[in-house]
Amino acid sequence: MNMLARKLIAKEFYLLRWLIIGSTVAGIAGLLIAAEGVMRFNIGMLMWLTTIVAFGVVLATFAIANERKERALQFVLSLPLSHGDYVRIKVIGLFLCFLVPWVVLSLGAIVLIVVMPNLPDGMLPNIVLLCVFMLVNYAFVLCSALHTTSEGMMTLVIIVTNMSITLFIFLVLGVSALRTDFQGPNPVWNDTFWIVLGVELATLAVTLALPYLFAARRRDFI
Amino acid sequence: MTTTRHIEMHGVRKAFRFFTLEDLSLDLEPGQIMGFVGPNGAGKSTTIRLLTGLLAPDAGEVRVLGHAMPEGQALAKRDIGFVSDDMRLFSHATLDWHMRFIASIYPNWDEQYAKALVRRFNLHPEQNVGGLSTGEHVKAVLLLALARRPRLLILDEPTSGLDPVARHELLGEFMEVLKDDERSILFSSHNTVDVERISDRITFIDRGRLVDSSDKEDFLERWRRIQLQIPAGTAVPDLPHVVSKVVDGQFVTITTNRYSPDLVSFLGSGVREVQRMSLEEIFVATVMHHRELRGT
Repeated sequence: MNMLARKLIAKEFYLLRWLIIGSTVAGIAGLLIAAEGVMRFNIGMLMWLTTIVAFGVVLATFAIANERKERALQFVLSLPLSHGDYVRIKVIGLFLCFLVPWVVLSLGAIVLIVVMPNLPDGMLPNIVLLCVFMLVNYAFVLCSALHTTSEGMMTLVIIVTNMSITLFIFLVLGVSALRTDFQGPNPVWNDTFWIVLGVELATLAVTLALPYLFAARRRDFI
Repeated sequence: MTTTRHIEMHGVRKAFRFFTLEDLSLDLEPGQIMGFVGPNGAGKSTTIRLLTGLLAPDAGEVRVLGHAMPEGQALAKRDIGFVSDDMRLFSHATLDWHMRFIASIYPNWDEQYAKALVRRFNLHPEQNVGGLSTGEHVKAVLLLALARRPRLLILDEPTSGLDPVARHELLGEFMEVLKDDERSILFSSHNTVDVERISDRITFIDRGRLVDSSDKEDFLERWRRIQLQIPAGTAVPDLPHVVSKVVDGQFVTITTNRYSPDLVSFLGSGVREVQRMSLEEIFVATVMHHRELRGT
C-alpha cells in the first residue's frame, strides 16, 4: 500500500472518528443492558444489533454517497490517484473503519455469552454466524454505494439488507441443525455451522471484489 | 531539447445524451495562461473534466504534462492543481487539517507560501470548513492548490461567487504563479474581465465546439468596430471578414475580425470612427457569428 493510500485511509478514520466511537459506545451500552439479566437480554441485544447495522449504513452513506453529493469527491479525485485507486482505497478504508466497532462488539457479545452464567453457551455458533452475516451485509451496502449514484437505488439496498438480517435470523439460524443446541450448555460447531460460515466468507470475498470489477473500471467518474 | 506541452488535446469528442463536445483541439505551452471562455453549457467543465481524468474521451487524444489521460492521471495529477467552483472540502474538518493533509501528500508543498496565503486571504486555519462563507471556501481550495506549487493549474470558474476585492487578490496570485516560466494556467470562466486581465492566450468555446483560439493581443488587435456614414441610396460595400453589419439609415456599423489600416483606406472618407473592442464584445460577436454560420 503506497503512502497516498495510507493517508486517504487515515483520512477516513479521522473524518469518521466520532461515528466509530459513538457506534462502539452505543453497541457496548447495548451489551451492558443485555448483561443485566435474562429479562433485559433481548432489549440489549436488539440495541447491539441495530447499532452495528445502522453504523454500516451511515458509514457507507456518509463516506461515499455524501462525499459525492456534497462535492468533496472532486477534491479527492484531484489528488494523484486513478479511479481504480480511489475505489480500492475506499473499499479498504471503509471496511477497516467498520471492523473497529464490529470486532469490539462481536467479541463483546461472545464474552457476554461466555461470562453470563444464565446464558447458554450453545448460542455462540449462532452469534458468530450473525456477526459474520452483518459483516457481509455491510460489504454489500459498501459495494452498492460505490457502484450506484442513485439515491433511490441506495434506499432500496438499505431496505433489502436490513430485511435480510431478519430473514437470516429466522430462516438460516432457524434450521434445526443450528437451532437444536442453541439452548445447550456447550457450543456445537457442527458441519452446518461451517458450511454457513464458508458461504458467508465466500460471499464476503465476492462482494468486496465486485467494486474492482465494476466501479473501478468506470471510465467516467463524475 | 523539446519542451513538453502542458496540455495537448487533439480531435477530442465526448458525447452525452443532450450535449456533445466535438472535435476539440487545444494546446497549452509552459509559462502560458490560457483563458478558456464560453457561455454556460458551452463545454468548459466537460473539457476540464477530460483534462483532469474525471471523464474519458470517446475519440481523440488528451495528454496533460506528457501523460495520456485518463490512463496516466495518477502521475499527471502529481503536478496539477485543480480547482473547480463546485469543488468542496470536507466540511467536518478544519482548514489546518486540510493543509496538513495536502502537505503530507505533495512533496513540493510550500509551508511559508501557505501561511502567507492564509494571512492574505484572511482565513482562519482552526475554523471548520463547513463554517466558511462561499468566498472563503473558494480561497481555501485555491490556497490548497497554489501552495502545492503545481506545474499546471486548472481552474474551472474559480472566481465565480467572489466579491471584486477577493477576485482582485486571486488574480494577483495567479500572476505570481506565472513568474516561474515552467508553470502554466488554464483558466475557465465566463467572466471576460478576469480573463482579459490575466490571460495571454484565449480560447472561445460554444455549444461543444472550439470557436476561436489565439493570443490575447492578437484578438484585441484584429477585432474592430467601424462606424461608417454612407450617402443616401448607396449600397454598403461588400467586405471580407465582416462578422456583423448593422445599418441604421446612412449609418453603418461593421464589426470585423481581420482589421487592418488598409481596410480604413479602402472605406475612405465615410469612416467616422474605428473602435477597439473589449474581450467581452469580441467574445459575444464571435459566439453570435459562429452560431449564425452554423445556422443555430
